[in-house]
Amino acid sequence: MAYAYLFKYIIIGDTGVGKSCLLLQFTDKRFQPVHDLTIGVEFGARMITIDGKQIKLQIWDTAGQESFRSITRSYYRGAAGALLVYDITRRDTFNHLTTWLEDARQHSNSNMVIMLIGNKSDLESRREVKKEEGEAFAREHGLIFMETSAKTASNVEEAFINTAKEIYEKIQEGVFDINNEANGIKIGPQHAATNSTLTGGQGGQQAGGGCC
Amino acid sequence: MNFFRGVIGGQQAGAQPSGVETIQKLCDRVASSTLLEDRRDAVRALKSLSKKYRMEVGTQAMDHLIRILQTDSSDSEILGYALDTLYNIICSDEEEEQDESEDAAPVKSKNVAAPEDTQRRQEDDIGAQFSERFIQEPENVTLLLTMLEEFDFHVRWPGVKLLTALLKCQCAQVQGIILVSPMGVSRLMDLLADSREVIRNDGLLLLQQLTKGNAAIQKIVAFENAFERLLDIITEEGTSDGGIVVEDCLLLLLNLLKNNSSNQNFFKEGSYIQRMKPWFEVGDDNSGWSAQKVTNLHLMLQLVRVMVSPVNSPGATASCQKAMFQCGLLQQLCTILMATGVPADILTETINTVSEVIRGSQVNQDYFASVNAPSNPPRPAIVVLLMSMVNERQPFVLRCAVLYCFQCFLYKNQKGQGEIVATLLPSTIDANSISAGQLLCGGLFSADSLSNWCAAVALGHALQDNLTQKEQLLRVQLATSLGKPPVSLLQQCTNILSQGDKISRRGSKVQTRVGLLMLLCTWMSNCPIAVTHFLHNQDNVPFLTAQISENLGEDERLVQGLCALLLGICIYYNDNSLENYTKEKLKQLIEKRIGKENFVEKLGFITKHELYSRAAQKPQPAFSAPEHMLFDHEFTKLVKELEGVITKAVHKSSEEEKKEEEVKKTLEQHDSIVTQYKELIREQDAQINELKEQMCTLTSQKDQMQNTITQQLSQIQQHKDQYNVLKLKLGKDSGQSDSGQVNGLQLEELTLLREELEELRKQHALLNTQLAERDTLIANLKAEGVQSPDGLTAAPENTELLKELESLRGQVQTQAAEISQLQRERQEVQTRTEALAAVSGEAADLTKVTELENRLSAQTAETNRLQEEVRSLTESRAAMEKERAAATSTATILQTEKSKLQQEVAESKKEQDDLLMLLADQDQKILSLKQRLKDLGETIEDEDDLDARDQFDDDDDEEEEDDE
Repeated sequence: MAYAYLFKYIIIGDTGVGKSCLLLQFTDKRFQPVHDLTIGVEFGARMITIDGKQIKLQIWDTAGQESFRSITRSYYRGAAGALLVYDITRRDTFNHLTTWLEDARQHSNSNMVIMLIGNKSDLESRREVKKEEGEAFAREHGLIFMETSAKTASNVEEAFINTAKEIYEKIQEGVFDINNEANGIKIGPQHAATNSTLTGGQGGQQAGGGCC
Repeated sequence: MNFFRGVIGGQQAGAQPSGVETIQKLCDRVASSTLLEDRRDAVRALKSLSKKYRMEVGTQAMDHLIRILQTDSSDSEILGYALDTLYNIICSDEEEEQDESEDAAPVKSKNVAAPEDTQRRQEDDIGAQFSERFIQEPENVTLLLTMLEEFDFHVRWPGVKLLTALLKCQCAQVQGIILVSPMGVSRLMDLLADSREVIRNDGLLLLQQLTKGNAAIQKIVAFENAFERLLDIITEEGTSDGGIVVEDCLLLLLNLLKNNSSNQNFFKEGSYIQRMKPWFEVGDDNSGWSAQKVTNLHLMLQLVRVMVSPVNSPGATASCQKAMFQCGLLQQLCTILMATGVPADILTETINTVSEVIRGSQVNQDYFASVNAPSNPPRPAIVVLLMSMVNERQPFVLRCAVLYCFQCFLYKNQKGQGEIVATLLPSTIDANSISAGQLLCGGLFSADSLSNWCAAVALGHALQDNLTQKEQLLRVQLATSLGKPPVSLLQQCTNILSQGDKISRRGSKVQTRVGLLMLLCTWMSNCPIAVTHFLHNQDNVPFLTAQISENLGEDERLVQGLCALLLGICIYYNDNSLENYTKEKLKQLIEKRIGKENFVEKLGFITKHELYSRAAQKPQPAFSAPEHMLFDHEFTKLVKELEGVITKAVHKSSEEEKKEEEVKKTLEQHDSIVTQYKELIREQDAQINELKEQMCTLTSQKDQMQNTITQQLSQIQQHKDQYNVLKLKLGKDSGQSDSGQVNGLQLEELTLLREELEELRKQHALLNTQLAERDTLIANLKAEGVQSPDGLTAAPENTELLKELESLRGQVQTQAAEISQLQRERQEVQTRTEALAAVSGEAADLTKVTELENRLSAQTAETNRLQEEVRSLTESRAAMEKERAAATSTATILQTEKSKLQQEVAESKKEQDDLLMLLADQDQKILSLKQRLKDLGETIEDEDDLDARDQFDDDDDEEEEDDE
């Protein structure tokens, strides 16, 4: 249960690109073939290890439908990482990336790490967007890129973990202000205990609670 | 507007008429004055009037005030007055006070006097009207949200209050506007971080209103670290010992978590359950619990219950239950359960909470079973709790809670059910201590109807879905009174039912009977042995039929229904082991005594009861009054399950039954047929397996065969290839004759020809050498043949023979020479003797004669020997001659061979000559073709010329060889 860091992620992108499936594959290691429309946002969490450190990922899977856009915008500011997902078998979802990116850049904090994901890589026969196009888009906008398949679980772990690595590196470089929780990063109870010994008894009490 | 005026007229008739005018003047000033100070004063004046002349200020000044908010945003003072004024007109102070009292003591507010109530309603109406007007323009709310970003206390605080008031009046609409305004919720969350407690606390109230019934907002608030901040505030404020702020935090947490599975998951995943544990670390000296502390703890317990509510998804509840056990929260709650001095209210809620924390979770249930009360001697907590359940003096809600706890302990807990039933069995009974079973029996037969009901339901839960325990419980015998034989528990229950009227009881008779009937139904359903046991007593069925058929009052309807259900169970779960009470006979009984339709109608009384549906809603037994305690949640499920099948079973005629029997028989037949077929299938399976094996071997064989075939095929292919190559060669050979037809082939043909020539030349050379050899051989043979017919050179042995012959010849010659010498000597001697004879005497003659005769004899012997030798030599010579003949014959053979060879050579020479001729022809052709090509202007000289030259060179060589 103890973790060194806690990162908040959001998953964004057009409806039906497989955002919820990516989350389900990552948290539960299973695939849900039936498209169940996400209402508003849904929460998921998992622990990963980077550099020998336990990192807790809290992920908010947002609804892709336009009608929920105003609600999902509320989640940009507090997230440290975002998975921007499109569907390689639907060109329009790729074309909408610019809009999504603008939206994300406008409402998020400037350091938010964005991972571009071309999902459904298992449907090679129906591919409409070349991998090179995704790579080019990512390069142009300074994003990390990856093609995944929530169905076969290919690259799903990597997508979440690589995003976390990028955030972790940014922390090491001192880019993120880790004491401001609004950035979507929180130091774990262990670290907090060592960091807040000066703040007095209250911190200690908290740490005691965390230990159990 | 007319409506407003009407309201004022009614309410404040005769109040200073100058008020309206003053407000008008102030409004004009606010609208027209260019000086900020003037406007500020006017707004301040409006503010001071806004409470007394709420309606007037509201109707006249609202638009002006909103304009101030839009235009004078730089001056915090005027903004503050404007916001205060708006707040006053939307929400009156009196109302606020009443609201608070309502929060603190909900029961009291219900008893507010009627006139006050109407007045409040009117004021509420006013507030709602004004707030509706305010939010007609959504920009106003957005504007208000930006006001909240202003740090100045005079703006921020009234801003928070105003927004809270708006949310209270027009919750859904304001929520909608805030939800779609960018960063709206985040801004409001920032209020919790405000260092000024007033703002933070009012921020809490604002968020409470904001999160009411809106899952989307609840999730965003949670996302904005609400859990973390609220738990921090609760800790800072001293948890349960904290004041109303803790209560507000808890209310907000409840808003965020209730019916919001996403947030519950987040709360669990964020390890916040662990942070709840210290809340329940209440010391043992629980003297003096403040009302606030009771409220706080109450809310904290509710928060725990929200996480493990039976209405949540089973998976989510199970993981929370696990977390609560692992972090020690359950253990902490059990400590409160057993502590002394805990207010009954908190104790009841703690029991309810523990119930839901252990419900359906084996680990937690096992832990709960192991908890002991700190009494002397220590008693299991379950026993202590059951004691309260069957104790009339305990509060009703507490007894309900204990029943719930007991039910949750047994829910999906076969082990627990077994343990409870075991305390009643004769073999395991422990007379020295009070057991759960004893308490339940005591409750079942006590004079208190509530205890009867609770004990019956509790015992029913020990049998729920557990056939083993249903059968075990049949073994229980009770000693009723001295001198009478022991009665079984089942029979005792029916006895109480039938003799109920004889015993005077506290409470309602119906309650007792309903409780017992529910127990019997639960017990006998799905347990034919229990049914037989019940039917065994001759009095039971007549009692039931009497109950059902009697025309009783409203109160007894439910009992009639339950009796019908019990009789139905006796039919449905009947194994026909009692002759008098087979299914068929019982049905006939119903038809005769009650009537099918009547029976079904009575059965329907159960579900038609008003309390039935309420109990079906949730597992917790919660009753507004003790007399409403009639249905158990699990029992409603059983009724739902059985009503249909029993109705069907009763309606079925005997013919149908027979038909069914027939169907059953045919089914059995079918079964036997099926088994036959099964066997057949099994046999066939074996066969199939055998065949499969065979097939396997065959396929492997086939594979082998195929391999050989492929090998052979490849061989054939090779042969074919070879054949093709040969054919091609042949074709080329034949093509040579008419070469020159295709220019492209010429070169190739030339090389081929050259190769052939080379070969021919080699052959030629070979033949030449052979010829030379033959020639020498022949020469030798000839030489030998000429020199000596004896001498033969053909074979190596000949040379030996020749040598021997030579030596023999030498001997012969020397011997011949000796012979001639000896002959001469003889002649000499003869002449001498003649002379002697003539000259000398006879004596001398005689000696000489004898000497001569001796010599002669010796010589004749020698000659004889020599003659012998000669003979042998001649013999050997004949042999030699024979040999020579043979040699000569071989020589002739060789000579014929030689001639043959010579012929061959001649032939090959002829062939060569032919070929040369051909070549010459071809060359001619090539030259002509070249000439033609040259004529046609093609330049192909180089190579062709070279080739041609080579060709000629070769020809020259050949000619030279021929010459040789």
